[in-house]
Amino acid sequence: MSKILIVGNPNVGKSTLFNSLTKSTEHTGNFHGVTVDKKSKKIKVNNEEFELVDLPGLYSLNTFSYEEEIAKKDIVLNTHSALVLVDANSIRKNLYLCLEMSELKLDYKILINNYKYFEKKKNKLKLEKLKLINPNIEIINAKKIEINENLFKFTKNQTNLPYLNKYLNKIREKFDLDDETIVKALNGIFDYLTDEEINFIKNLNEDLIADRYKFIDEILKNDLEQNKNFIYGLSPLDKFILNPIFLLIFTLGIFFLSVYTIFFLIGPILTDFLNLCLNKFFINPFLNVLYSTCENVWLIEFFKGGIFSSFSTILGFLPSICLMYIFLTVLEDSGLISRLAYALDDMFTSFGLNGKAVYIMLMGLGCNTMATMLSRNMTNKELKTKTAMLNPYVTCMARLPVLVVIASAFFGLYSYLVVAGLYLIGIIIMFVVALILNKTIMKTEDNYFLLEFPPLRGIDVKHVLIETKKNSIELVKRIFTIVLFVGVIVWITLHTTFKFQYTEKVDESILFSFANLISFIFAPIGLNNAGVVCALIVGVLAKELIISTFSIANNVTSTSLLVSSLTSTFSVVHFSFPSAVSFLVFSLLYCPCVSNLAVLKKETDTFTMWLCVVSQFTIAYMLSFFAFQSLSRGVSFAIISLIVIFLIIFSLVLTLKRIKSRKIKCLFCDKCSKKN
Amino acid sequence: MNLYESKLNTECVIVDLSCEDRLKLRLMELGIFKGERITVKHKSIFKKTLLVVFSSNCFTLKDEIAKQIKVNYV
Repeated sequence: MSKILIVGNPNVGKSTLFNSLTKSTEHTGNFHGVTVDKKSKKIKVNNEEFELVDLPGLYSLNTFSYEEEIAKKDIVLNTHSALVLVDANSIRKNLYLCLEMSELKLDYKILINNYKYFEKKKNKLKLEKLKLINPNIEIINAKKIEINENLFKFTKNQTNLPYLNKYLNKIREKFDLDDETIVKALNGIFDYLTDEEINFIKNLNEDLIADRYKFIDEILKNDLEQNKNFIYGLSPLDKFILNPIFLLIFTLGIFFLSVYTIFFLIGPILTDFLNLCLNKFFINPFLNVLYSTCENVWLIEFFKGGIFSSFSTILGFLPSICLMYIFLTVLEDSGLISRLAYALDDMFTSFGLNGKAVYIMLMGLGCNTMATMLSRNMTNKELKTKTAMLNPYVTCMARLPVLVVIASAFFGLYSYLVVAGLYLIGIIIMFVVALILNKTIMKTEDNYFLLEFPPLRGIDVKHVLIETKKNSIELVKRIFTIVLFVGVIVWITLHTTFKFQYTEKVDESILFSFANLISFIFAPIGLNNAGVVCALIVGVLAKELIISTFSIANNVTSTSLLVSSLTSTFSVVHFSFPSAVSFLVFSLLYCPCVSNLAVLKKETDTFTMWLCVVSQFTIAYMLSFFAFQSLSRGVSFAIISLIVIFLIIFSLVLTLKRIKSRKIKCLFCDKCSKKN
Repeated sequence: MNLYESKLNTECVIVDLSCEDRLKLRLMELGIFKGERITVKHKSIFKKTLLVVFSSNCFTLKDEIAKQIKVNYV
């Protein structure tokens, strides 16, 4: 089975092409750096199987960031054919990578995309001299391409590039190397070469790049007729959009308006309707049949409390979460994210980050795990590590139902403002931690914010619906797998004694007894209710499980019943006002979920993962302590707790300053370790 | 003068790049090298980030990098 790579600059349509050919729904967006990992799928064309591999974008084989390195590894193996996607609107820059692949004699085809927009802007392209780079060249539309057998037919690459001979001769005069090794070295592949050889070849790079562009320009002089006023990426609207105050107010305003509309206006109506339908047409009829045919109390309660309570409450939030995904997809497709990244880069730089972190944080509003992977966009290890570590401070979609339920129970009409305030608290804490890291163990040295501006695009309704459908299906799968599975275990341990007998009194249960043992840890922050402790422990697996655990403990199957049960002292899980505030703050920050931690460990290292866990828990505890003590004991305690918090932070910073840097192998620079 | 000092929306020609090797190579691979035309289109609010246009492409660029690119007006 042949493997075919889809290669090209960032944001040219590689993932779109992949989706069209494989009928997949991989994530796409109008931003450089959406794809950070390779994805593959098998397809059949006339009884022949191919494996298509979608790679992250790269500008050249001299890689500059982590996701480019992932793409390069597969390309330079030289055992696969490739479809190189080229954007007609920035063809000069795109052809550079094609030239490198031609030098390496890789078998590939050039597919020119976005030609319609290119022609609309009064540009023209002929495919005459372009065939000197590769004779296999055609114009396509990545969104609408159909599989045809000719697309996967590759001829041996025998392109002759006259400018290369000068370099081959120069290097052959000095060293005894074959042509293949020399060409590889000229493209950044230095296997089995000595330092002297590598340095000599590296010194030729600048002249080689200039010669490559001369070759490209000669070709385009004949084939390209470009509109002199054409600038790809800038639009007349950018005069207004690039004003940072306008952009920030516009984006934040749209975001908070969306949260308000979705979770507090339309959301409750949709949630109640879905809960009503679920209860009326499924849960109640099922339970009625069970009541009439079964006398086993355990079985009845298992279905009601274990199964239905596990998923029904969180499922009620599905319409609201779908609407949020619509908002995020529209934002991603529009091209506004790049504008935001540019406008906020100044501010992010002063905290030791850069504008690319804006995209990662915005994606964190959907899912922190996916956003942590996007830290591969960064160009050095400190930025990558910091961005990955700070991302969990952004409130993801899984935490939102928890905040909405508690805020609705205790703040009524002002619940929207409370949720908005919690988002801001998370972001402010993120910046404070970023500043501390930048001043202590993770100083950013090389902050290259080199981002290509994509054009502003209108809403692609079909794409928005596809992304929303995909995310919704993922959420439903999650609810009916991990949430349901853990929910059942929680119910069993909440209704089983140490003698393995069923009990309706949860105080006698295994889980409650365990939770009571450790609840003293949470007493200073007012969260020593065993049911709350259970929910917090289970919430480390997935944040949706917090709501699920509350529903199981309070034996409710709808969101409105859950909200009212949390204020009643007769419920197993209930809060006072100070403890509710404390819980809101603690659950916002206390720990990333297990899947996020796994990705964080993979993208950084074990030390960073544990630093993230310990720092988040400490910060969450301190802030909850302050909130609970101030609300329950008054101003004097608030001042004392503030002093305690300040002293803890101060000693933490001093400790971090003294930690010697660990040996971390850097991917890009010659220095492999640093010590204080 | 350097690119950072050039006037907005005024085309310049690059005379020299004096940045760190790895960055210099990346800029050259994108098409920013000696003899190429480049224009600063916009500066951010604190003037730390620029929007530059070259060969019909639009890129962001940090101020420290722009100060290392020597240019003359066309």
